[in-house]
Amino acid sequence: MFYERHQVWSVLLRLFHWSFVLSIVTLVITGLYIHFPWTNTMVIGNSYFPVATMRYIHFVAGFVFTAALLVRIYLLLFGNAQERFWDFLPITPRNIKNLFKTLGRYLYLNVGHEHRLGHNALAGIFYFLTFLVAAVQVVAGFFMLYPESVFWQKWGTMLFVSQQQGRGIHYLIMWYFGVFAAIHIYIVVWNDIFSRNGLISSIFSGGKYISEDY
Amino acid sequence: MSRMVEDQRAGIQVSRRGFIKGCTMAAAALGLSETMVPKLVEAATSPKRPPVVWLHFQECTGCTESLLRASHPDIGRLILDIISLDYHETVMAPSGYQAEKSLDDAISGNEGKFICVVEGAIPTKDGGIYCKIAGRTAMDILDDVGSKAAAVIAIGTCASFGGIQAADPNPTGAVGVTKLLSGTPVINIPGCPPNPISFLGTVLHYLTFKRLPRTDQLGRPLFAYGRKNHDQCERRAHFDEGRFVEQFGDEGHRQGYCLYKMGCKGPQTFANCPAVRFNDADVWPVSCGHGCVGCTEPDFWDTMSPFYERLPGVTIPAGGRGIVDAATSKGKVILGAAAGAVGIHAAVGVGKKIFGNNEDE
Repeated sequence: MFYERHQVWSVLLRLFHWSFVLSIVTLVITGLYIHFPWTNTMVIGNSYFPVATMRYIHFVAGFVFTAALLVRIYLLLFGNAQERFWDFLPITPRNIKNLFKTLGRYLYLNVGHEHRLGHNALAGIFYFLTFLVAAVQVVAGFFMLYPESVFWQKWGTMLFVSQQQGRGIHYLIMWYFGVFAAIHIYIVVWNDIFSRNGLISSIFSGGKYISEDY
Repeated sequence: MSRMVEDQRAGIQVSRRGFIKGCTMAAAALGLSETMVPKLVEAATSPKRPPVVWLHFQECTGCTESLLRASHPDIGRLILDIISLDYHETVMAPSGYQAEKSLDDAISGNEGKFICVVEGAIPTKDGGIYCKIAGRTAMDILDDVGSKAAAVIAIGTCASFGGIQAADPNPTGAVGVTKLLSGTPVINIPGCPPNPISFLGTVLHYLTFKRLPRTDQLGRPLFAYGRKNHDQCERRAHFDEGRFVEQFGDEGHRQGYCLYKMGCKGPQTFANCPAVRFNDADVWPVSCGHGCVGCTEPDFWDTMSPFYERLPGVTIPAGGRGIVDAATSKGKVILGAAAGAVGIHAAVGVGKKIFGNNEDE
């Protein structure tokens, strides 16, 4: 079988992906620690500051997360053909058709498979949703990081009313990312097995392999 | 108990209300339930309570002063009332031979029953000649009285660890009680001066439970010296956020920021100052804008000075700038790098458009 390599993901998108991944992992671990500091509270007399250190790492990782999100928003508009939002959001007849085909395929219904270089429309919806959720997470985060800032107070109170509600939503959204990661990895592996286009390696190398059979 | 608790010896009167209040404060300091207060009151008023001999060696009488001149007079009076103070050079009426006689009277017939309170360090150099009372050296008196006592309470840093007399070069070879006395249980109530409540709590604990409270490795009762000042400090949040007083009288000082950079030794000092406070006016050095000098710690004159300089060894997360500030500057770099990456991406894209070298098509 002959496969042809296609360049799909730009360097910047791959950088976005991996800084997003690493920042999310760091944020979830440190965030859970801030939520429930699990270290031994009975150790006294040492000058180490687990909560302050965890918060510091959380803040820095939060900036990485924000930067990654901003890069992805830029790529939604100015990225390559696969990276722009109209390529994968169900806003064109082609993508709406693809959405139902993908759903059928994931349900193991024999509806035929449209091979695409970029995201399918189902993934596209959830990626876009994830970016929106991430934006809410960023606002909640900066609202709590700079509680005295007029700018973040304005956005924070508009979205969450109070610090406490912002904190609660920030915490709940963390679980969204956990669930997203689990489903994302499952579907990526599933596709790597059933589509045979080198999906997993594409996020490292940027290239996908399309067989002539399609 | 009558409305007024009378102490005929000193002619001191404490109102019942003040008496109960003092016992309640001591119970709180000890971490005891309020249901224990009647037991403390009972023990404190028992006619069989042990007599107390209060010895003064190399000291400034500051510890006694801090007890007697507490702004709330009941505490000092309460202490003098609770303990049957048979010998205390500062407050007793007799002098000379009569004073010596009262010491003998207190000890003889009470061996193994009385409490000995020691205030001040004991010089040991040249046979202990640098502190003599009635022709006897402090070492001799301590050996004589301390070994017959049921327990010894070393009040103040001098009696506990030697204090300023023991500071380098320690010309008189001054030491604390624990260095000299063996066989008798010794408890240290260090501080310069110590909080009267810590002393009162220890005495009431002994009277009520017939034993000294649990102590740390330095012989200090855990109820008062179990936690660091730093961990109980009302300015702690400023430390964690890196908001420091940089100079006395500056804006940070007026805002009540952390005094760590002004030499506060709270992170190394075990005491209950932020919780119990002093003078019945809810004050302690840090609440007045002055750092802790670590006066409850051994050799604090040597190890805690210079008092107005930071100590090495306390690492502040993110290099002491405060985690929010440090994360903000890191964040600027991260966002800048992202902007740079976007800029390069955009420049390459525009370049390809201009020079017509577009591989994507």
